[in-house]
Amino acid sequence: MNARYGMVIDLDRCTGCGACMMACAAENNVPALPQANARKGLTPVLVRRVSNGKQGDGRRETFIPIMCMHCEHDTPCVKVCPQQAVEVDKATGIVMQMPQRCLGCRYCMTACPYHARYFNWWDPAWPPGMEKSLNPGVAVRMRGVVEKCNLCHARLHAAKEKAAAAGKREIDAGDYIPACVEACATDTIHFGNFADENDPVTKEARSPEAFRFLARLGTEPKLYYKSTEAWVRELAEPNAAAELEHV
Amino acid sequence: MKVTRRDLLVWSAGAAAGLLATPVPWKVLDDVSIWSQNWPWIAQPARGPVGVKASFCTLCPKGCGLRVRMAAGYPVGISGSKAHPVTQGALCPLAFAAHQLNWHPQRLRSVRHQSRESSWIDAQNAFAKACKEGSVVVVDGYPGRAASSLLQSFAEKQGGSYRVFATPELRSLAPYESWSGVPASCLGYDLENAKTLLSFGAPLLDGWGTPGRVSRMWAERAAGRHDPDLRLIQIDAELSRTACRAWRWVQIREGSQAAFASGLARALLEQNLVPAHGPVPPITIAEAASQSETSADVIRELARTMVEKSPALVIARDNDPAVAALNVVLGSVGIRGGVVRSSRDPQKHVSADEPIARARAVLIDSTVPWDFAPPTDAEVYRFAAWDGGPNKADWVLPSPGFLEETTDVPTGPAASLESYAIAPAFLKPASDVRSIAQFLADSDRTMSSIPKIIHERCEDIFHRRAGTVYGRETSPLGKFPSVQKLEEELRNGAVWMGQLTPPGNLRCELNEWPSNSNRIAPADRRADWKADWIAPVLPPLASKLYLESTLREAPGRNA
Repeated sequence: MNARYGMVIDLDRCTGCGACMMACAAENNVPALPQANARKGLTPVLVRRVSNGKQGDGRRETFIPIMCMHCEHDTPCVKVCPQQAVEVDKATGIVMQMPQRCLGCRYCMTACPYHARYFNWWDPAWPPGMEKSLNPGVAVRMRGVVEKCNLCHARLHAAKEKAAAAGKREIDAGDYIPACVEACATDTIHFGNFADENDPVTKEARSPEAFRFLARLGTEPKLYYKSTEAWVRELAEPNAAAELEHV
Repeated sequence: MKVTRRDLLVWSAGAAAGLLATPVPWKVLDDVSIWSQNWPWIAQPARGPVGVKASFCTLCPKGCGLRVRMAAGYPVGISGSKAHPVTQGALCPLAFAAHQLNWHPQRLRSVRHQSRESSWIDAQNAFAKACKEGSVVVVDGYPGRAASSLLQSFAEKQGGSYRVFATPELRSLAPYESWSGVPASCLGYDLENAKTLLSFGAPLLDGWGTPGRVSRMWAERAAGRHDPDLRLIQIDAELSRTACRAWRWVQIREGSQAAFASGLARALLEQNLVPAHGPVPPITIAEAASQSETSADVIRELARTMVEKSPALVIARDNDPAVAALNVVLGSVGIRGGVVRSSRDPQKHVSADEPIARARAVLIDSTVPWDFAPPTDAEVYRFAAWDGGPNKADWVLPSPGFLEETTDVPTGPAASLESYAIAPAFLKPASDVRSIAQFLADSDRTMSSIPKIIHERCEDIFHRRAGTVYGRETSPLGKFPSVQKLEEELRNGAVWMGQLTPPGNLRCELNEWPSNSNRIAPADRRADWKADWIAPVLPPLASKLYLESTLREAPGRNA
């Protein structure tokens, strides 16, 4: 059975601690270079702090983790890539980025409506000796390529290997959990398979509080968000999104 | 045919133009790009046997449970241990990259004496001389460990004193110590049984207490609910992270917490919401409202809200007696869901901030924040694993880094339950480093050793026959046949948790309402997320939070 992996992010639970960003970077051997900044950095998961624009007692703020939305339909980055370095894996629904094919044109970055893609401006580097702390399951990406969240694909490989070793064709759901999901202390990020009608995330994505950012574009992102606050849900609408205030 | 220079130039130009029409230059350009992307010196992960080990974070006194992924003998990934009964898999953001710290460029690798290179022998000789000439003060930032016992007994033997650098959570319990006589180290907040939490600026969801304890409880009992089982009310001057997610945020003027708390106590008493006993705050509700820039109606209404869902527990950001007295008025001391006494041995500590009258030497453990400078003229010996920048210490002594020494993990600050665990060493120290305990053992051969003290503590726990051990399996302590089995389980990453003591064993008497004389420095909320981090540096990956994004404020000069 083909899977459709995705997430439901409950914004009422996010405290903006940043554990998901740290766990993602550590898991995927994302370098942290002193010359990087908010414009040229690599943050496959980026938590943004936004407000309702009011002041005083009426002010409300929330945190929104933004990452690749793994669009299913007319995936913008796939359509513009001249190198076929991006593809939607039909077996998993994951939008895959292949750095070996990427020529660094950055069309995909321009096409991504969520600004969830990042360019490797510099050679990956760590202080001497620190390369020993890198995750051996993930290859270090080279300078000059685009990268993004791949739902911790190395963990999916590991789960498949484990299933194969046990003589099973399907992986156990508990064996494949992306690093950001595992790291979340408040259970904000729920991961699952939308192809499975009984998966809790499938039901959660249908709740009236669930929404998707820029759903009008029709790209069918597989990242849903949830909030009981109307002003947060309104951020998904195009006009409200334009007024979104970064704190 | 004669070939002229003009012909040569024409052919050369033609060949150059023609070459551009072939794939050759583009292929060469492409290959150069690929070669230069894959220089042999570009870092590649180490290869080798992969495994997972259980341990505990020792980078702050909270002692979170860890699962450390190892490859080729090195830690390559950290995640929270779901088996830990308190943290339940949660960690602070910094812990996820803690395994990078041992290779941090600011790792201390040699002894320094007044900013010049020195040696352990010189340090040892200087310290031996100092011990002969006068008393020694020892400052510890992580009390309750086996190493702490060594430090304490050494200081007492030398006629000096043992002092503790307390976390804000521990400092917030200090008023109850003075009112009840029970040391703050034996007190804790029973958050799990509280129904209303009133936080006076305490960053409950941003680094306060053990990370998973508050965040998991809040996520299960309060997050996203309009009428939650646990009401979190945040009294704060600004919309902090905790205020963002609180059931209710009450904005007050910065520095007016004591006045606001006194006004709330007055409102509770005037509206007969609590039994009238003990002193009445000398401030009126109107005065409290004026000082805190709120309104009297807000204070009265908040007082009613507090008692709607009881028990209500009040938590101060720091040592704030007026805020703590609110718990006494509410009757939230010595009850389930209030301030409780744990089963720990009562140990009263001298604060590190107390003036040092006379001492020949001051030893500061690596668990004390780097910027702590004791008010003394004595010779200062500063142990640290990382260099945090300029320091007034005479001696800077390199100590073991993360997972480089076996240490025990005692009960965290403000915990309601006693706990004990052992964090084993996985790594050989990268350079010639010594812990403060090794240094003292070298100075005094008669002292006990850390393995011996850890064994004694295991024996003590074993003989209590109470509590539960959470490891690969969860078992009551009574099921362990011997101390050795218990110690072995603890060394393999299990944690022992004690039981909640019966209510009523803690009583606080207020003779008069606390004055506002205890001035608390303005809170730096931007630093909450790394307030208890022992290392003076942050893992390089932490820059994702403040340099490559604007999620957090940039740290100070040290990181």
